[in-house]
Amino acid sequence: MIGLDAPRQVGIGQAEMARHAADAPFLAAFRASEAPMVMTDPARPDNPIVFANDAFCRLTGYAAEDVLGRNCRFLQGPDTDPAAIAQVRDAVAQGESLRVDLLNYRKDGLPFWNAMTLSPVRDEAGSVRSYFAVLTDVTRTHRTERALMREKDALAQDLETRNRALQAALDQQTALLHEVDHRVKNNLQVISSLVLLKARRSRDAACRDVLRSMADRIGALATAHRLLYAVSDVARFDLRDFAADFAADLEAGIDPDRIALSVDVEAVAVPASMAAPLALLVHELAVNAVRHAFPGERHGRVAITARAEDASLILDIRDDGIGMPAQSENPEGFGRDLVGMLVRQLRGSLAVEDLNPGTHIHVVLPLETGR
Amino acid sequence: MSAGGLRVLIVEDEAFIALELECLLEEAGYIPVGVAARSGEAIALARDLAPDIALVDIHLADGPTGVAVAQALTARPGTTVLFTTANAKRVPPDFAGAAGIIAKPYSERVIRAALAYVDGRYHGGAPAEPPDGVVLAPRHHP
Repeated sequence: MIGLDAPRQVGIGQAEMARHAADAPFLAAFRASEAPMVMTDPARPDNPIVFANDAFCRLTGYAAEDVLGRNCRFLQGPDTDPAAIAQVRDAVAQGESLRVDLLNYRKDGLPFWNAMTLSPVRDEAGSVRSYFAVLTDVTRTHRTERALMREKDALAQDLETRNRALQAALDQQTALLHEVDHRVKNNLQVISSLVLLKARRSRDAACRDVLRSMADRIGALATAHRLLYAVSDVARFDLRDFAADFAADLEAGIDPDRIALSVDVEAVAVPASMAAPLALLVHELAVNAVRHAFPGERHGRVAITARAEDASLILDIRDDGIGMPAQSENPEGFGRDLVGMLVRQLRGSLAVEDLNPGTHIHVVLPLETGR
Repeated sequence: MSAGGLRVLIVEDEAFIALELECLLEEAGYIPVGVAARSGEAIALARDLAPDIALVDIHLADGPTGVAVAQALTARPGTTVLFTTANAKRVPPDFAGAAGIIAKPYSERVIRAALAYVDGRYHGGAPAEPPDGVVLAPRHHP
């Protein structure tokens, strides 16, 4: 092993000798350290190595005599980053310490990653007497990092592939939903047209009325379906939108001077599964009131209100007509049967109050099925 | 209903819908001049009959060609096009020259109200309120 002290021992006095003797344990510690260490002398031409320990020799594959007197640049190689070399050069020029990762090369040509700390060592007067570098082989860390990076890239790519596949599946589902939606709406129009055509051709007035009222029921279902996918939330249906369209259709069939219709429906988000039966129920109740409470030329009022309370939909239909018991024009009572079935299907309850004159129908429907 | 005898072309591939629409138009005082189920047929009929109004479905017997039909029909001044479709998403932002969209399934009331509005707005009829249930084109120049 080389002696750091050898060149400087020439011509020094007794006191110096004594101090060197006191420093001897530190020197021995550096020599024995498992951390690769190297020291250079900037006072000599080209800042050569004046000390290198065994750990340095083991790491680099060079013998001590190979490196002593040479500048450290022999550790550099074709893939060493010039920017990192410039950092080292600048630190030496400025007399500053530095922590840098360098790609270095062993004597046998194998590259290794060197995490190096470089410190200027100053004398009492403050001038730099030597540079002291501790090397750390971080090749494994770098390799792991690179492997991680590659794995991350692969994962990102994999994720993108999966995202594309999911998007394609979603696009297909959306296209299918639109296609089915389109067909359902078109078929409702066909069914409605068929019933109306038959009504037009019927000579019998009663038969015409029955067909017309069936067409109206289909119309109520059609209105619900038209509004079902009109908003972005396909799982919900806004009762107020339905009521507005429905009321306009209902009003078109009555004489506004004879029957005043008022519709006051809150914006209630109803589960899509309730849309069709609820639309039919509102239709039956409203039509019952409008068609049967005011026989002959009787005048009156029909008020429909709907609101959400707790988890229920509260539906009220009031008229000041002749009252339920007096209504005889509806011998089959099909409308009333329908109402009963629909309320049961929607797991709700219905109460009829005689307003004398008129009728109040109060319906409570749970908004969540609880299943 | 003061329809003033406007002449209406029906472009619809569903026979029952077209037939019921004809009956409804007659009842409301309009003159249904013809029914076309394909785009070529619709364009040829419009050229020969010069209708005042055309009710145009988007999905016809030869595919989603209603948009092209509307473009061809509105190129001739004097014809107002209304789409009748269950697939309003197919209509381009400029409505292909059409005045509005009647969403299927429609009710008789909406057809009557839409035609009354078009009559008042573009064909010298009595002014009528823009009907609900009809999406009007953003900037329509007849």
